[in-house]
Amino acid sequence: MNGARGSLRLVWTVWVFTMKAFMASEFFLLTAVLQPVIFASIAFFLFRIGGDAAGEHTLLYAALGTGMMGVWSTTLFGAGGAIAWQRWEGTLELLVAAPRRYDLVLAGQTLGASTFGFYSVIATLAWGMVLFGMPLRASFPVLLPVALLAAIIALGAMGMLIATSFVLYRHANALSNLLEYPVWIVTGLVVPLATLPAWIGPISWLLAPTWGMEAIRGATIGSAPPWLPIVLCMVLAVVYWLLARVVLVYVLNKARRDATLSLA
Amino acid sequence: MRAPVTDSPAIEAIDLVRTYRTHTGVIRRRPISVEAVRGISFQVRSGELFGLLGPNGAGKTTTIKMLITLLLPTAGTARVMGFDVVRDTTAVRQRIGYVFGGDRGLYDRVSGIDNLRYFAELYGVDPGEQARRIAALIELVGLEGRQKEKVEGYSRGMRQRLHIARGLLHDPEVLFLDEPSIGLDPVGARELRQTVKTLVDAGKTVLMTTHYMFEADALCDRIAVINGGRIVALGTGEDLKRDVANRTIVEIETFGVTPEAIDRVRADPEVIAVNTEEREQSEILLVQSAQGLQITQRLLGLLGDTRIGKVVAREPTLEDAYVHLIATSGEEASATRAASVA
Repeated sequence: MNGARGSLRLVWTVWVFTMKAFMASEFFLLTAVLQPVIFASIAFFLFRIGGDAAGEHTLLYAALGTGMMGVWSTTLFGAGGAIAWQRWEGTLELLVAAPRRYDLVLAGQTLGASTFGFYSVIATLAWGMVLFGMPLRASFPVLLPVALLAAIIALGAMGMLIATSFVLYRHANALSNLLEYPVWIVTGLVVPLATLPAWIGPISWLLAPTWGMEAIRGATIGSAPPWLPIVLCMVLAVVYWLLARVVLVYVLNKARRDATLSLA
Repeated sequence: MRAPVTDSPAIEAIDLVRTYRTHTGVIRRRPISVEAVRGISFQVRSGELFGLLGPNGAGKTTTIKMLITLLLPTAGTARVMGFDVVRDTTAVRQRIGYVFGGDRGLYDRVSGIDNLRYFAELYGVDPGEQARRIAALIELVGLEGRQKEKVEGYSRGMRQRLHIARGLLHDPEVLFLDEPSIGLDPVGARELRQTVKTLVDAGKTVLMTTHYMFEADALCDRIAVINGGRIVALGTGEDLKRDVANRTIVEIETFGVTPEAIDRVRADPEVIAVNTEEREQSEILLVQSAQGLQITQRLLGLLGDTRIGKVVAREPTLEDAYVHLIATSGEEASATRAASVA
């Protein structure tokens, strides 16, 4: 089965399978649910201590930020960890040597990771409502699912670009740890970007979580429809996707030459 | 009724070479090259069951990985169903299935049927055909009733059967089996051999590696023995046995035999080769000679005070031929290396 329909079906099948595999993994459940709840609690207490600043919007702001921190962590560990795990299980070779395009398989896997990460947004919102009395509201309820979808796709595409290095190098998942905290900070998930040094701005513009967060916050607590961050999410997703495809051609050729696919 | 073997080659390897580059040391890294395959050539005819035999590290898996497009050859060419394994990777991948022995290669945390559904999509099985095909394969490998259980709870035999079902999902014309019966119990291994026979009867071309000589002897149409990255013999099981056909194997069960005693037997002018097999409490000496039982008394005398159990003489098997081939090719390789150093 070829063509766009066949490609979409492949991405969908891999996405469903990846979600199933993540749900059966305690590690990913903890990363996606428990870790953001802990971070959210810390953030809620910090904002409460801040006194007047802890308005209802501030709590929602903090909940969404910590939720997105969880999304990024799950995407990163999902992309890196899943490939390291597949290499260890011996399934990576099977995927690479299958007749279907491996870039579509990788796209399904990383999209699965970013979607699964959205558990953390639900978890932190529920946590904030139940324990901290945070009201849940959306300024643009119709745009909220669009913003969520755009963020999932952009983060998944960024995960895919990073994952290409995991296919080549067996120890590349160490990069996951290196990229987790800096991206949280640089993309404004922890504190507003306006409070960070000006030189960080251009870096943050190139990273999907920045616009994903902008889009989701815009749809919930914003005063204007967040069309710009939604469009930028999609533009970045296309750029990441094209870059990942180019890199993947090189990476797979090198992996066949250097015999690194089966090294666990 | 078996489908006929035709003359058209399904697999062709021509002077295949594969060198691995790695390094030693941590601070002062020194690059080293390991030649895993050193110029292998063979053809597998369409519908044939071809065996690749050799000791660990002989180059069998490397050869298979080049043929299934997972590794690029350092030199030489290979074609599967007429398609080049380097240039026409997608065309080759659409026509081959491969099964590696052992526990790896499955998603443990999901069910067997979920594994098959996933790979069916990856192998491009038509969506309308997937459910029927998966059900038929589950029946073929005998996993009915267990397919919805998580793979992590499967026995090794069940995992191996699931591997085979996965390898057959897209009904490939050529099947590569890399030590498929490794770790299986005798019943599981017999069932696997039956499955392989069924596939060959249906017209599939199979290239199989194995360590079990009786398996190769029972199943394979032709066998290539590979050692040190080179093919040292190629032919039918009978062809390979012909080298040792004029010999008799005397099996001597010994208890507490010393290396010196074995060396004395080995030094006897009538003895061609001596191999040993460890058993639980004894050691079996397999003495190859052209004289057979006539020299038995002399052999027992050479063993001195060693306690002797049963002594049996028999015709040589494929395993004896294999051991002879590996031993002689190893000696030749050592001699060549010594000559090149000199």
